[in-house]
Amino acid sequence: MNNPTDGTRDELSGTIKIIGIGQSLRGDDAAGLAAVQLWRETYQETGARPNVQVELAELPGIELLSLLEGARIAILVDAVHSDARVGTVRVITENQLETFKDGSGSAHGWGVAETLSLGRKLMPSAFPGKLILIGIEAGQLNLGEALSQEVEAALPEVARLIEQYISADPVH
Amino acid sequence: MNQDIHIPALARVEGEGALTIRLKDGAINEILLNIYEPPRFFEGFLHGRYFQDVPDITARICGICPVAYQMSSVQALEAALQVTISPEVRLLRQLLYCAEYIESHALHIYLLQAPDLVGYESAISLAVDFPDLVKQALRMKKIGNDLLKTIGGRSVHPVNTCVGGFYRWPAQDAIHALVPELEWTRQASIDTVKWAATLNYPDFEQDYEFVALNRIDEYAIYEGDILSSKGKRISPLEFEHHYLETHVERSNALHSHTVDNGTYFVGPLARLNLNYKKLRPIAREAARGIGLKLPLRNPYKGLIARAIELVHTSDLAIDLANAYQPQGPSYNEIKLRPGEGCGVSEAPRGLLYHRYVVDEQGLIRFARITPPTAQNFAQMEADLWALAPTVVNQPQEEASLSFEHLLRSYDPCISCATHFLKLNIERE
Repeated sequence: MNNPTDGTRDELSGTIKIIGIGQSLRGDDAAGLAAVQLWRETYQETGARPNVQVELAELPGIELLSLLEGARIAILVDAVHSDARVGTVRVITENQLETFKDGSGSAHGWGVAETLSLGRKLMPSAFPGKLILIGIEAGQLNLGEALSQEVEAALPEVARLIEQYISADPVH
Repeated sequence: MNQDIHIPALARVEGEGALTIRLKDGAINEILLNIYEPPRFFEGFLHGRYFQDVPDITARICGICPVAYQMSSVQALEAALQVTISPEVRLLRQLLYCAEYIESHALHIYLLQAPDLVGYESAISLAVDFPDLVKQALRMKKIGNDLLKTIGGRSVHPVNTCVGGFYRWPAQDAIHALVPELEWTRQASIDTVKWAATLNYPDFEQDYEFVALNRIDEYAIYEGDILSSKGKRISPLEFEHHYLETHVERSNALHSHTVDNGTYFVGPLARLNLNYKKLRPIAREAARGIGLKLPLRNPYKGLIARAIELVHTSDLAIDLANAYQPQGPSYNEIKLRPGEGCGVSEAPRGLLYHRYVVDEQGLIRFARITPPTAQNFAQMEADLWALAPTVVNQPQEEASLSFEHLLRSYDPCISCATHFLKLNIERE
């Protein structure tokens, strides 16, 4: 990854992008958006750093690639669906992302995993050097519903995680 | 095929859809196309909301065509509240619509439908062998999204559109700065038309009734009368008298049909067939260059129509961007009054109708949203039945793919469905 033509070459000047993804009107699907908003409210000083950018992307589909372009580190926060307890927070690393199957459930035929997979193939030089996906296990996804209590309770943990990843970065 | 086909989640279709085909004694006995259709939810969700919130809420129905939902809704509400918009606002709305056509058509042509036509499972596998093709698509899509962001404030769900105009004028130099990339897009679109003509489309033609907006003075996208290929022309006010929706028991979606109980077809093929003469000269030239003969009655060739529309909308966008010179207020003040109004525009996927009733406080008392996919639904099912006899003898997997390909060619927009990652779940 660290060859001179890769996105990591601008180690000192690159941005950290925090990207919340989700349908804001559909219950726990909004978990990623809510978590990024909570982090921004809680850690205002970090959010104000010039090399930190926040995107509340809602349903970006393949437009996610444009949002990632040129970022040195990207932290994606999204609702996920597995057999885990609702509200479970998990960090999915770059390597684990590789194991996601193409065609995983997605709107617009483009899920996060597929989009990242396409981005890696087509724009390796502009792809973030480090990519972290924080997943929040979703429960109900009904249109017009608020977040479930379990997901609501998990948001502070996600906000702390986002902050930890940014703080761990030596570039301030 | 010798077993039933059940495709629980249609890939590369906007949103959630499922298709089940049941066999009996070797013949197709039942075709069930099930589409989860969120606009119906939004009709209820809008009830009691303030009218000025409607464009932003309806924009969230779809990440691909938010502008269409905004354009039909603001026009309906402007009619209800008897608000006029300035000519500058209309021009900027047209430019915003061009942005959506560019990003949406580039996505559908190259990333959703092309893999079927060139024999790849997905755009990801297509990108391995044809990286430049997919990179071109992404660049076109990005230009569309950049223009959308410059006018709408955000690249995915624009927020600048309001009833009466725009909240603020975008900066003139920001719009002008996009012209070189739009010029690249125009050339890439012309190349796309040539490429589209080289693809092998399944041999499948039906005698459709096409329905699209129509205007004397332009290729109708933003507004117009409603024209049918059977010759019927009506005003948007008459839409619900001529195109009816009925609830179908087995589906949670409404099906549209004409007042004579016929199916009809909206979308790029309908627009191209009905409005070809109104295309920009450069788009007509691109069509002539591939020897295009109209009417196109093959749904798979919607891809060619989209490519020609890419030429049209990128060329129009260049003119509108160059001429953009904001002046005067960006929106007209609104005086609250009870009223009712409808608005129709051409979403990339076809005619999108909205009707609202507003009370004296500006609250929504009734909302009707008829999206293009609901209107094409009955036609899609009719096409599946028409295709079935040729597919029934194919191997199972091939048959399944044939049905999926036909549906994807419609570019059904059944969106706003969940987009979240499903972990560790294998595809069937």
